[in-house]
Amino acid sequence: MENTAKRGGGAGEKRGEPMIHLEILKEAVMFSNLLVLMSIGLTLTYMTLKVPNFSHGDFATLGAYAAYTLYKLMGAGIVSTVPVAFLFSGAVALMLYYVVFRPLWKRGAGIVVLMIASIALEIAIRSCVHIYADVMTAATPPDVFFRGFMITEEFVLNIGGLVLPGLLTLSTLMVVVLVVSLYILLTKTKFGIAMRAAIENPSLASTVGINVDLVYAVSWFLAGGLAGAAGALIPLYFPCDPESGWWFLLRIFTVTILGGLSGLWGTIVSGYIVGFSEVIGIYLLSQPPLSLSTAYRPAIALLILVITLLVAPKGLSGIEWDQVMYSLKKRFGGVVSVGVGDSRSS
Amino acid sequence: MVLGIVDPVRFLLDFTALYAVYMILSVSLNFEYGYLGIPNFGKVLFFAGGAFIVGGMTARFVAWLAGIAYSPETYSIENVKLSMQVSQYFAQNPGVAILVLLLAVVLAIGFSALLGLLASYPAIRLREDYLGITLLAMGELLRVIARNYEPWVCGTFGVAVPDPLAWVPTSLHDFAYIALMLSAAFGVWLFTEQLARSPFGRMLRAIRDNEVAAAALGKDVVKTRMKVLIVGSAMAGLAGALHAFYTHAVHPDDYMPIRTFLVWVMVILGGAGNNAGAMLGALIYTLIDRLIAQYKYAIAAPFDVNYLSYVILGIVLILVLMYKPEGILPEKPSETIDFSRKKQELEQAKQSGRELEVFSSD
Repeated sequence: MENTAKRGGGAGEKRGEPMIHLEILKEAVMFSNLLVLMSIGLTLTYMTLKVPNFSHGDFATLGAYAAYTLYKLMGAGIVSTVPVAFLFSGAVALMLYYVVFRPLWKRGAGIVVLMIASIALEIAIRSCVHIYADVMTAATPPDVFFRGFMITEEFVLNIGGLVLPGLLTLSTLMVVVLVVSLYILLTKTKFGIAMRAAIENPSLASTVGINVDLVYAVSWFLAGGLAGAAGALIPLYFPCDPESGWWFLLRIFTVTILGGLSGLWGTIVSGYIVGFSEVIGIYLLSQPPLSLSTAYRPAIALLILVITLLVAPKGLSGIEWDQVMYSLKKRFGGVVSVGVGDSRSS
Repeated sequence: MVLGIVDPVRFLLDFTALYAVYMILSVSLNFEYGYLGIPNFGKVLFFAGGAFIVGGMTARFVAWLAGIAYSPETYSIENVKLSMQVSQYFAQNPGVAILVLLLAVVLAIGFSALLGLLASYPAIRLREDYLGITLLAMGELLRVIARNYEPWVCGTFGVAVPDPLAWVPTSLHDFAYIALMLSAAFGVWLFTEQLARSPFGRMLRAIRDNEVAAAALGKDVVKTRMKVLIVGSAMAGLAGALHAFYTHAVHPDDYMPIRTFLVWVMVILGGAGNNAGAMLGALIYTLIDRLIAQYKYAIAAPFDVNYLSYVILGIVLILVLMYKPEGILPEKPSETIDFSRKKQELEQAKQSGRELEVFSSD
């Protein structure tokens, strides 16, 4: 696999080879896939306890380290590390839900207290990973790194004789599987419908016999697991270190807020919006005439976040498209010819 | 040599200076979170703002003022030399030194206050979670800019800060710094304490406890939040400026988001809503920090001991939130009328058989 990507914090390396545009598009798709996988989980957990979990990025870091440890020390294949990372991060998320978030929530802790607790968890997990990285670097042979590591092995998927670029295919496949299974889960299965009910109105749902607690626990497991599975792919793409999850956190929050914290489908769309604007945006900014350092990359996500908060704080899921089309129609007379029922505006 | 500390006086001086900085930060966060409930997860932004103003401007401003020549192109490498020249100039011109110190501090405070306004503006009208996320995200940005835009604080090299107290005799020099920093910290404490006891302070608690009720009584919630964030950020800017002057250097990578977390630990552990609690929390953390710095190399661990302390602090913070959310020194009810004293006076009045005005304003 070719790695044209450089982590934002690194030396601002210029990229100017021909064929770069296809590479940039590929990179944007991969980055967006990772963002979607990570952000879906944050939206899920937000919908349950109504708290933004600041330790969500660390689920990805944990997944990355679990997968890398398996790959490097036990010689596991790249694809087989993904489910392990899923289970590991999912188990950690589930444990944190039962040990920290649920007890605090049951005690009637407010949203700010839950946020503080999640920040404390973030710091604790990140520091644990730092310690693990230090210990492992000292314990393993000198050519094995646990900081700033990448998996440099050429990674391709061979499906029925068809050789495909590994990361691009695998991450896209994961997003497709995620979308399809989420759709089936939430609309066709009894448990999924119970899940939606429990998220929408917990007290009413528990009155009709839905085990709200189980639903929340499953949501947290899925959230951690998805982030962990995405994390397992990070070292194929960026140099990975204990801060990687933190580095992703700002993007994850931007994606979830742009998507609207109330719906999963908005998150998927906004994942691609944020991913593409960041990768393509920083590519354009790093070219002449501006020639900015790629380290300014987080500014793009931050800008999207600020614009979203100022213009449409409810995000994509919260925008009432009927209303928007109606007001556009009114302003531009007959120019906008999209037929919209304007029942609620009259 | 006391307890393996080579220079106990130095240790105490450093401890006091760091305590003054952390005390300003924790009192300012207590002002924002303890009294009004603002989740300021970007404290480090305003701390860094003050420090970057001091680091970026002091030496160059004085060089321009005193006509000391330097080349802007190689400033990143030669800033230590310039800063020493400026310190020598300060040693000969105490008046200018004091004026520059004051000017730098005022600018730092103003810059941080402006940052407070800008960073919170997009989300100040929204729920607390949006505000917390926005401030957290903003906290990273300034550091990234300072790290990569060399003309400001020399990027990853860091910049040396001249010593505005260079004119004080060497034997008193460090004590003068301590006096300056402690008096600044005392001023911040006094200001916050007075504000908290005023009608404004009671309004803050009213908004914190029930936003809708406070709004219904005509209190402008958004405006109040903005005011408090600006004032709290200004205090953090003061802390940043003092820290930069005391350590004589500004490195962008010193201003990591972990600082925000540490200040939160201080406030929650000490007791939110009580300035004495915030000061106690700052004292406890500063002690831990200094002891780790002192004994770090005596502990043979294959990893950085600081990380272990962060793990422990994170767990402690969660345990406090679960089992003692009011902290070590809980918030006291607002002081309005001392009813216990009134009661006594009433009893006495009854015994002596005279009438007493119940709500006299003594």
